[in-house]
Amino acid sequence: MSHLVSLDPRISRLGIPAEIDLNSDKTLSDQLSTFEVFHQKKEGAVYQHVGPVHANTPDLAFLFAKEQYSRRFTCTGIWVVPTSSISVTPNAEPGVNIYSILNFDHKFEEGTPVLFTVFHQKKRGAHHECMGEVTAASSDEALYHASLKYGESGPVVNVWIIPSEKITKSSAEDVEFWNTLSEKKYRDASVWRVMDKITKFKEEQKSGN
Amino acid sequence: MQALKDLLYKMADDLLILGHRNSEWTGIGPLLEEDIAFSSMAQDKLGQSLALYQLLTNLGESDPDTLAFSRTATLFHNCTLVELPIGEYDFSLARHFLFDHSELLRYEMLSNSSYEPLALVAGKFHGEIRYHTLHANTWVKQLGNATEESISRMQAAFDFAFPYALAIFEPSKFENELIAEGIFEGEEKLKEKWIASVSAVLNQTAIKMPDLSKIQSLSGGRYGIHTEHLQPLLDEMSEVVAIDPAAEW
Amino acid sequence: MYGGGNIFEPTKLEELNAEDPIKLAAFEARILQGEKIEPNDWMPQMYRKQLIRMIEQHAHSEIIGALPEGTWITRAPGFRRKMAQMAKVQDEVGHGQLLYSAAETLGKTREEMINDLINGKSKYSNIFNYPAFTWADSAIISWLVDAGAIVNQMANAKGSYGPYSRALDRICAEESFHLKYGHDSVVHLATGSPKQRQMVQEAITRWWPPLMHFFGPSDKISAHTEILMRWKVKMASNDDMRQQFLDMYVPKIWELGMVLPDPLLCKNEETGKWDYTEPDWEEFKRVINGDGPCNKERLAVRKMAEENGAWVRRALQKPEAKYVTPLA
Repeated sequence: MSHLVSLDPRISRLGIPAEIDLNSDKTLSDQLSTFEVFHQKKEGAVYQHVGPVHANTPDLAFLFAKEQYSRRFTCTGIWVVPTSSISVTPNAEPGVNIYSILNFDHKFEEGTPVLFTVFHQKKRGAHHECMGEVTAASSDEALYHASLKYGESGPVVNVWIIPSEKITKSSAEDVEFWNTLSEKKYRDASVWRVMDKITKFKEEQKSGN
Repeated sequence: MQALKDLLYKMADDLLILGHRNSEWTGIGPLLEEDIAFSSMAQDKLGQSLALYQLLTNLGESDPDTLAFSRTATLFHNCTLVELPIGEYDFSLARHFLFDHSELLRYEMLSNSSYEPLALVAGKFHGEIRYHTLHANTWVKQLGNATEESISRMQAAFDFAFPYALAIFEPSKFENELIAEGIFEGEEKLKEKWIASVSAVLNQTAIKMPDLSKIQSLSGGRYGIHTEHLQPLLDEMSEVVAIDPAAEW
Repeated sequence: MYGGGNIFEPTKLEELNAEDPIKLAAFEARILQGEKIEPNDWMPQMYRKQLIRMIEQHAHSEIIGALPEGTWITRAPGFRRKMAQMAKVQDEVGHGQLLYSAAETLGKTREEMINDLINGKSKYSNIFNYPAFTWADSAIISWLVDAGAIVNQMANAKGSYGPYSRALDRICAEESFHLKYGHDSVVHLATGSPKQRQMVQEAITRWWPPLMHFFGPSDKISAHTEILMRWKVKMASNDDMRQQFLDMYVPKIWELGMVLPDPLLCKNEETGKWDYTEPDWEEFKRVINGDGPCNKERLAVRKMAEENGAWVRRALQKPEAKYVTPLA
């Protein structure tokens, strides 16, 4: 059985069969379920949603989130939450506060009160941002308390409610993971400077070198 | 001076070769997110090797690019573990786990080195290497407990890797001097800590650690005795540079 | 990085007749006002379908796009290039992840998308079906293919779909280094030794035809996409983007003393647009449908990567973990 020879020596070493059957039949969850990732740009800044990672456990999700969402610029903290743990409201029309059109006229589920973290999306296109925590016995009730606590804090199109215990957070000592981030200049646009070389080349061309 | 350079060369060479090997996974990893993570760690290793080569340059050796791209295999001081081909993900993870534990402990010991530039470098990279070890531990614990298939693959990978890993601690010709001058507390002490550290994690899995007293370590790398894999690796690494060695790339 | 030349399906306006006219009007008004559409907003089926197709193609382009430059990772000359090459290719994988995630918010799973890539059902940017023969090829790709991608991405970042728009903002921020790095690599070659100058000249001669194909068939022979432009799915015409690219980069190529293999290429003083030899669109069709130099290899590598990693993903399965559509 001959192997695929590539211009890429590492591909040649993989021993890929030259005639490979290009059919694929991955099943759901072959790529795992998702966790939503929240990122803190610098100390004291608000945690902001940045996107999901596929992972099977919070600790793996955390490791992945750190590399996918904090490879550049600065970072002082990362949170991950299973997507399935997040309760989502509908979207309000622009200029309308979503809380004003939600109905809280019903009895909430009873249970032990726990902490819920509240995120607001201020307008369509924006990232969801952390507002803080409320205490409630259900996400429904948490949404009600959020409306009281954060309802007047500005425009809000969409709200996420997350049981706080479902959030895996980076620790204070984890900040050292990002210590050397600013030194990785090789992936910084500003260090790749071509003007001098181009100018010198043009001058040499002109003087007939 | 010789003792210090000996130490720096082997550390820098380990990290260069391992970073190079791990970069081979970029774009072909088992899961997109893991592909991204493994590539970051490979870049980190290269960055660390560069910092160590720079210390050597400051001590009178050639510049980092020359050191990395123009020595032949017999002049390299990396342990043979890092030059082995990437194999499948089980081997690469086992290697990552075994090597990175040694690196974390080595750096922690060196942060007290009497040679200040080295202590500074060791301190600076602590955060990176702690993440690397956390990554390795998470994977080994998951795969070492998950399915029959993953456990047996990881067992085989560790069985294969351990003899090579023991050679990370091949004693330097200058062990006594390094210890006496407070530059480094020595491979023996490092190895002890390493055994405790890797056992602590492997004991949380279904993987059985081999009886290390019964294994012959596959050493030689520290003084230029390498496997048949290193020279081709170096040839590949320097292939473009070799097109025109005097040119600026 | 990614590529243009999106293959849009000709839009069948009859499909819209099945949609609720009031909701459709509100949807279109929202877009006209510059509002973004978010995942749980009402949207016509056609919008959802075309967006999935477009974002998915973009994601596949990133993953496959990692392979030509990946060819030169282990041989990149010098520490700086070595680390930067790794970071650049890593970014492509990272951008693929961001884009699959954006497409997933519309209801197609990553598994389905990867299946369609390997099966050949879903396309990716054609330019990656060509081989990176030398280090100079890699440098040209890093510079000019990324340049083309950026023209495309900056247009699409102003598109109507929230998650795609946010992903593109992130991608554009990470890409700024790609372009600079690529340009720097080419400049070093073009202003370097005779061997280097020859290498890069040969590379650009090879890559010019695929670069001219990059933004897709000329408008006069492309599928009608007016409604997609109204819905801010497609943000600019293929020809407009091609012109923008030529305007920005041909002078930069010429100032390095490099020759482009098109005797007709020049900026028309009267029209203010670039004249060029019409690219061979039959060749483009042939290659994108599987008959290019590297199509088979690209997909074979992707398939092998998936297969080799299957045992890892199997080990990570948690039957109780519930997959739900990502949120944003």
